[in-house]
Amino acid sequence: MAVKCQRSILLPSCSRMTEKKTNMASINSVEWRSICDKFTNAQRLTETESRNDPENDPFRSKYKARELLREIYCSLKSFEAGEGEEDVGGENCEQRPPDQPVDGQTEDAFSQGFSGDSPAGMRAAKLGAVEYYLGVNHVDTEELSAGQEHLMNCMKMLEKCRVSSENVSLFIHVRNQLGILWAGRDETETAQGFLESAESIYQRYMKEDGRPPTDMTEYFTTEENLLTHQERTKRFELAYTHTMYYLAQVYKNLGENERAATYCHSTLQRQLQLSQFSPMEWALNAATLSQYYITKGRYTEGRHCLAAATVISGLAGEVPSEAAAQESETESERREQLWQKRAEIARCWIKYCLNLLQDAKKLLEDNIGELDTDRQDELKRARRQEEEEEEKGRKSAMLFGSEDTFDSIASVEEKVMCLFPLDFTEARAVFLVGQNYVTQAKEYFQMDGYVTDHIEILQDHSSLFRALAFFEEDLERRCKMHKRRVDMLEPICNDLNSRYYLLIRRQLMFELAETYNEMMDLKLTLANRQADNHSLDGHTIKKFNHLCSASAKYFQMFLDSLCSPEGKPPEHLEEEVLRPALVARFRVARLHSKLISSSPPVQLENLNRALENYKYVVQYCEAHPEAAAAVETELELSTEMVGLLPLKINRLKSRMAANN
Amino acid sequence: IMSKNKSSESVKVVVRCRPLSRKEESNGPAGGIVQMDLRLGQVILKNPRAPPSEPQKTFTFDAVYDSSSKQRDLYDESVRPLIDSVLAGFNGTIFAYGQTGTGKTYTMQGLWLDPEKQGVIPNAFDHIFTHISRSQSDKQYLVRASYLEIYLEEIRDLLDPNHGNTRGLELRESPETGVYVQDLTSCVCKSIKEIEEVMNVGNQARAVGATDMNEHSSRSHALFLITVECSQPGPDGRKHIRVGRLNLVDLAGSERQAKTGVQGDRLKEAAKINLSLSALGNVISALADGRSSHVPYRDSKLTRLLQDSLGGNAKTVMVATLGPAPQHYDETLTTLRYANRAKNIQNQPRVNEDPKDALLREFQKEIARLRAQLNHRRFRSKQKKEQVDGEAEEFVKLEEQRLEKENEAIREDQFLLAEEKQKLLGENEKMMGDLRKRQEATEQLTARYKAMESKLLVGGKNIIDHTNEQQKMLEMKRQEIAEQTRREREMQQQMLIQDEEAVELRETFTSLQQEVEAKTKKLKKLYAKLQCTKAEIKDVNDEHVRSRQELEQTQNELTRELKFKYLIIENFIPPEEKNKIMNRLMFDPEEDEWKFKPLVPDESKSSQMKKRPASAVGYKRPISQYARVALSMGTHSRYRAENVMLLELDMTPP
Repeated sequence: MAVKCQRSILLPSCSRMTEKKTNMASINSVEWRSICDKFTNAQRLTETESRNDPENDPFRSKYKARELLREIYCSLKSFEAGEGEEDVGGENCEQRPPDQPVDGQTEDAFSQGFSGDSPAGMRAAKLGAVEYYLGVNHVDTEELSAGQEHLMNCMKMLEKCRVSSENVSLFIHVRNQLGILWAGRDETETAQGFLESAESIYQRYMKEDGRPPTDMTEYFTTEENLLTHQERTKRFELAYTHTMYYLAQVYKNLGENERAATYCHSTLQRQLQLSQFSPMEWALNAATLSQYYITKGRYTEGRHCLAAATVISGLAGEVPSEAAAQESETESERREQLWQKRAEIARCWIKYCLNLLQDAKKLLEDNIGELDTDRQDELKRARRQEEEEEEKGRKSAMLFGSEDTFDSIASVEEKVMCLFPLDFTEARAVFLVGQNYVTQAKEYFQMDGYVTDHIEILQDHSSLFRALAFFEEDLERRCKMHKRRVDMLEPICNDLNSRYYLLIRRQLMFELAETYNEMMDLKLTLANRQADNHSLDGHTIKKFNHLCSASAKYFQMFLDSLCSPEGKPPEHLEEEVLRPALVARFRVARLHSKLISSSPPVQLENLNRALENYKYVVQYCEAHPEAAAAVETELELSTEMVGLLPLKINRLKSRMAANN
Repeated sequence: IMSKNKSSESVKVVVRCRPLSRKEESNGPAGGIVQMDLRLGQVILKNPRAPPSEPQKTFTFDAVYDSSSKQRDLYDESVRPLIDSVLAGFNGTIFAYGQTGTGKTYTMQGLWLDPEKQGVIPNAFDHIFTHISRSQSDKQYLVRASYLEIYLEEIRDLLDPNHGNTRGLELRESPETGVYVQDLTSCVCKSIKEIEEVMNVGNQARAVGATDMNEHSSRSHALFLITVECSQPGPDGRKHIRVGRLNLVDLAGSERQAKTGVQGDRLKEAAKINLSLSALGNVISALADGRSSHVPYRDSKLTRLLQDSLGGNAKTVMVATLGPAPQHYDETLTTLRYANRAKNIQNQPRVNEDPKDALLREFQKEIARLRAQLNHRRFRSKQKKEQVDGEAEEFVKLEEQRLEKENEAIREDQFLLAEEKQKLLGENEKMMGDLRKRQEATEQLTARYKAMESKLLVGGKNIIDHTNEQQKMLEMKRQEIAEQTRREREMQQQMLIQDEEAVELRETFTSLQQEVEAKTKKLKKLYAKLQCTKAEIKDVNDEHVRSRQELEQTQNELTRELKFKYLIIENFIPPEEKNKIMNRLMFDPEEDEWKFKPLVPDESKSSQMKKRPASAVGYKRPISQYARVALSMGTHSRYRAENVMLLELDMTPP
């Protein structure tokens, strides 16, 4: 290596003379012109013609382009073969086993080898570029192994050169391609190596040099067709954007989600800055990214992404009217597209509002699930301090936006808070925003054609109500909110075909049962409060019993859905339904023991059914000890009740006997 | 209502390797890189570029088929049980997965003309119809077939003659029937001939292209869907319907799937790098797929269509195809890894019983209705015909008599009479016409009834059963053998695992000699293992060393640079300047670089930049005594600091 370095240092001085001559000669020569023409042709074939290739000959143009590239390669080889530098490359190859796909040249790429503008450097870069194009061509035509070989050849060519503005673009492009290739083979680590080295080359180049680099296409253009500086920068930056995007995928595949999210974010940010994006696509991606932040509890970032998504999606223009859609096919397609994407973004907002409310709820609830006022005060105090720090926080968070969109993003952000709501008014504000988006999303995701999506939106709406009810202090109104949930879900649950929507139906049944249960509890508290410990009046009892039995009905429906066709409950519960099934049993038991009735035989029957269900829970846990952990408190209570209920039943029986 | 199989079962994965092609044989002297152990179900992959000491990679599957395997073997051993369960009402799926040109289409379709080389699909047809013809006569069957392809994320109906012009079909969902393809043609098939015809029509419409890698490269994913509905009287006397659905999937080459982003993460497969930036969504969605958040990523069409087959309620067989050529080592490895992962997908197969949408039920109802109508009509028309005929004849006779009588009597009225007669005759004719029409309708009805009935295949009688008892026995035997081989292989695999343990347990040796032998064997085995581990350790070590060297180099370089910079500082920058700079330096941890503090501290900006000092006597700027005197003396412009021009208000009105 050392010897070679010296040679390369010595070379320029002695070959400068010849270089001038050959360069002059080559640029003007007819041969060079024909090479340029061939290259332009090949580019045109690959990029435009190949799109029109017939289905039964899908790579026609690509194969033609390949031939042209091969010709270019041969003439390049012979063109300057007279300079006697051929053996330098050969020597270099032996340094590393030819097939080892490791990129180890990042470090010395800046310090060793020919300088980029020396004739040897230019020659290597040109040959490398042709190898690069050949490699891409092979990969495109599904000949991956051959493609890899060409790309590695390109790497080898570049190994001889120092990074400079003449060749840095090629340095990055070839690594990008190799990254894609290896990621396609599931060798993520190898891909990571290539892409990370591309990243570091970019960064170092921008730090040390920073001139707009030559694009690879310029190697084969005549002087009058050279690109402008802006165009060069644009292409170079785009290549780096791709690197970031590939790295995001690689990190995701490696399970480094945090890092992957950062890279996704920067990819989006770069797209926005360089305005290389389609608004709807971009907006949808930003909205989805928000979902990642939301699950991580980073609501500021989540809100920012969503606001940016809303603003950018506005750039895509208005949704064409129905009349316009009927007129032309493209319009109707566009309408469909825009509508759908906006509905998707609305759904992301729903999830934002929902998660925000639910997290706030989790923060504020005490051990019986009610609002903890001490905690509320404490958090309010803490909030006041936080608010002062919020401004600072904003600066450190990553932000999207070019100058013209920044303000509109901020104004969208202001419509909903990103801190946890702490009282009913705040929660209501969040809820209303969420509900607004529910309406918007439902407009597109209608029951007819989008069953799963529609139901998911309804479920979210119901959850929004549920979270809001937590903040409501007036029990009467809270009860009404739950009633809204029931009205929403009940008809749907009965409409669905259980063959195809078994899971969804189970969810709905369980939720309905729980809602009825909550309503019943509320009614009871209310009645107790109003009646001042007097006995309940007939109307209330009727109402109460109705809620109670409705709840029990849905729990029972849920349990029935688990049964075999013969109606037998399964001997072994699958893990995902284990807890719900046992909890449902427990609840059914509890509801039956709560039913109010004046006639002793009915009471007796209810108690017996309650006992039966309690027993089931206890027995199942005895037979399957691993289930006990999932339902610890329920099991404890059930065991107790199994002991107590027979006493109660006996007492009732004896009373009945006495009366008779 | 569905019954549920208690145990879930995993996707069955078999691997098949094609022989070296002539081109490949001439290219490389070294033979294939794939070795297969048929008995153990193992694939051993040799890296052609690695030194021979490197341990080979071994994968174990449910079954493996080497280049000499027959289509029939694969079918009997691996596919037949699946088709049987489809006929029993389960959903079943067969996939072919692999690199371009490794024989996916050959495995699925094979060569139609050569019975030896028929692939999975024709064999399945044969199997289904043979089964139907042999079943008891109280069973009724309805077989439907659809054929579609997914090309560039667009669903095309291959059975629709003008599918080329229409836009792609849509996937829709309804509360009644779940996910389905809107407007998909589905043909009712009565025999092998018919279903083969359906397949042929579809195949001709498929997008097939010629590439350098493969002369007939399938450019799309093709799905052949067969629905078998079977009605059988249950113990309760009512007819129960079971619906089995068979999906036969011929995937496009695996390298293409990464490009089109076909594999959603629902396929339990990591999303690959996609070439277009617009696919950024896939990555982000995969990231966000956490707790209850919404991912606006409607799964790819293929996965949505097959959601039952992957982790759903279907039985699934995946055939991974390999090419043995050394230049495709990496792709082969990828395919094997993918197949290995697919083994872990768990499905919960269940029988579809009495679904609401069974077409068979509709057909049965329609037939019953038609039959009732027909009987009714026959009965009525018979009565009516007699009546009408009799009446008409009598009427005509009477009229004629009367005509003749009156003909002569009233000649003037001849015209009138003729007219009347004409009218009467006309009426008569009309009546006859009606009759005919009614007859025609009845005939039509009968025809429709016949057609309807013929669509239903009844076990045992309608289909000419070519096979006699012996052949049937033969088939059974063959099946048994296949089953046996499968079990044997499973046992072998088990044995291999238990072997190692067993050796340790078997401590009683009959003689010292034997003990020595056994121990030596064990030693050798352990030694080989040791070597393997050592090699691994060495690899890891090497890697560490390499990375350490790289780091060292970086460090050296950085140190050198630092020294150089220090040298410059010491020699060229005066110490007080240096101190000033040092004091202003500040490390910014966010951007990871050193920065200068601004000359004027941020927060004290307002206090530092003091206002211009006011002049002592209220002037806007300092002004010398002399100037002040001079100014008071007169309006000498020289001493006027500002307002050089005095524009006093002109007091004199014009």
